[in-house]
Amino acid sequence: MNHALRADKFLLDADRTTWHDETLWFVREKRDRAVYAVPEFQDLRELASGIKNHTLSRLDMYLREFEAAAQANGVHVHWAADAAEHNAIILDIIRKEGATRIVKSKSMLTEECHLNPYLIKHGIEVVDTDLGERIIQFRDEPPSHIVLPAIHLKKEDVGDTFHTHLGTDKGESDPQRLTEAARQHLRGKFIAGQVAISGVNFAIAETGAVVVCTNEGNADLGVNLAAVHIACMGIEKIIPRLSDLGVFTRLLARSATGQPVTTYTSHFTKPAAGKQMHIVIVDNGRTQQLGRPDFRASLKCIRCGACMNTCPVYRRSGGHSYDFTVPGPIGAILSPNIDMKKHSSLPFASTLCGSCTDVCPVKIDIHTQLYKWRQVLGEANEIPASKKWGMKFMGRVLASTRVYGLGGQFARKALRLLPHGLTHAPSMNAWAVARELPEAPKQSFREWYAQQPAPAAQPAQPQIPA
Amino acid sequence: MSTASRDRILAAAKANKPEELPLPAVPDFGGEATMERFTTVLTGIGGTVVRMAALEELGETLQRLFPDARNTAAALFRGTVPVNAQTPTGILAEIDLAVLQGEIGVAENGAVWLPEANMLHRALPTITQHLALVLDHRRLVATMHQAYAQLPDTGGYGKFVAGPSKTADIEQSLVIGAHGARSLVVLVY
Repeated sequence: MNHALRADKFLLDADRTTWHDETLWFVREKRDRAVYAVPEFQDLRELASGIKNHTLSRLDMYLREFEAAAQANGVHVHWAADAAEHNAIILDIIRKEGATRIVKSKSMLTEECHLNPYLIKHGIEVVDTDLGERIIQFRDEPPSHIVLPAIHLKKEDVGDTFHTHLGTDKGESDPQRLTEAARQHLRGKFIAGQVAISGVNFAIAETGAVVVCTNEGNADLGVNLAAVHIACMGIEKIIPRLSDLGVFTRLLARSATGQPVTTYTSHFTKPAAGKQMHIVIVDNGRTQQLGRPDFRASLKCIRCGACMNTCPVYRRSGGHSYDFTVPGPIGAILSPNIDMKKHSSLPFASTLCGSCTDVCPVKIDIHTQLYKWRQVLGEANEIPASKKWGMKFMGRVLASTRVYGLGGQFARKALRLLPHGLTHAPSMNAWAVARELPEAPKQSFREWYAQQPAPAAQPAQPQIPA
Repeated sequence: MSTASRDRILAAAKANKPEELPLPAVPDFGGEATMERFTTVLTGIGGTVVRMAALEELGETLQRLFPDARNTAAALFRGTVPVNAQTPTGILAEIDLAVLQGEIGVAENGAVWLPEANMLHRALPTITQHLALVLDHRRLVATMHQAYAQLPDTGGYGKFVAGPSKTADIEQSLVIGAHGARSLVVLVY
């Protein structure tokens, strides 16, 4: 199934689609207000882009520096080539600790690696502690947005879910009371947690610290109550210096939700006395992406979600229509690197309007990469025959003045003569499913122009003496 | 742990990385390091700022702000519950109010730097129901650049705290008091 077909399912509920569209646009507007309040915001984007470009150009050296610094801090550093190795490392740490109760804060990487089902299969209870993630975990759904994981749900849906799983009153849908129920439920999990797993927003090469940003405080609460902390990071999370965080912390929350900063910006450098800290550094296709000059800039992403909030396609198709851990424009340029066949429709889930590129805090050329992935997919024969031959046909038509002129004449006649039911048949003209074609004019501009009298010759201009 | 994967990842990163690009220097953008700005921003994100004429007013200010707090943990005076790094979770979970010294206030975003040395226990600032941070008004900076420039290092653990714990995961409705402290007051002297 491709993106368009999955989007069709989302679009069946028109009211919900409109709500989704407007809610994410509201987040985009909040982002704008926060951004315009910082005069140097564009300078910060340029700096962030420069720091990330530099880091990628010395990635192996910074990874070594980070590893050495973390080890000097008493942290265990592990390396995982792929998702399977990442999951096996984590299970091994949990087993050595003899733990069965795990609390986990937000980590798109562990989603990417499908860690939860793997741990559950091995008899480990893993509780997602971010409110949005806990909601979708109860519902056995993947996140539909990287920052707002339950944005596809209405409060009534959450109320039903909590009624089933937490015993809240039937029909209770007040966000305040539902959040309070989750707080009480999760406090119990935090207090019982033996091992805490977290993601990583930034990993600082010079200090060996990992930085985790949350609003809820769930990462801090989980990590600081458990005996073992496992932080999972992709190799691209590295930044060189502590002072670089000045740039990134000013960009991240403003771009994501329009907040001036996340409530908690937590620096985990050394384990507390008597406790353990592990960092798992994961490749899972990232070094391959680094080797693709057209696409390596996607590794600069700091996972703010701004490109999703602004994307007219994402807002009207929902995160689940992408069927990839990271949806939206950034997901559409990351996913073909992982599986070109499975995700071949995602680079086409875009109007190439460029809004994603405009809001990206690290200046990834997202829409250019979407366009380039289309070329790669075409070369690799991973696009549907109808699209491929349609493109080839239109390419020929548009390349020839004569054929284009004849085609225009034919189309104008056909549109006037053929019945509406045929020209707008959804099976033949997908474009007209929700649109009306304009009335076909009798002649084209070129035909009209050719009929006009030749313009009068310009009077000679007076010569200016040298 | 596989050293084979480590070596393979580092070798692939080395082989596939682009030609070296320069590391930009980050300028100090200046900005407004005023208590007015700090107060406006922190209030806007759900926190409270209370001015004290001197640190000696701390006791009566807390009495006024938190008349019902029974279990109080504090670094600056004797709280009702003594807390250190070894305090068991069960006791921490009963704390109503933690009063801790913040080190640096950031005017642009209302954040306060809280190092491990000032926390009594790493979990205390999030497990407490309410958090009060005491801040010297002379330790105010304009931006995060200036805040990081003042940090000698980040210790074993430390964090910027900007307002109370909150979430908007249900229909984008803002709810204060997700998992961490339900309220944050910054007491400035």
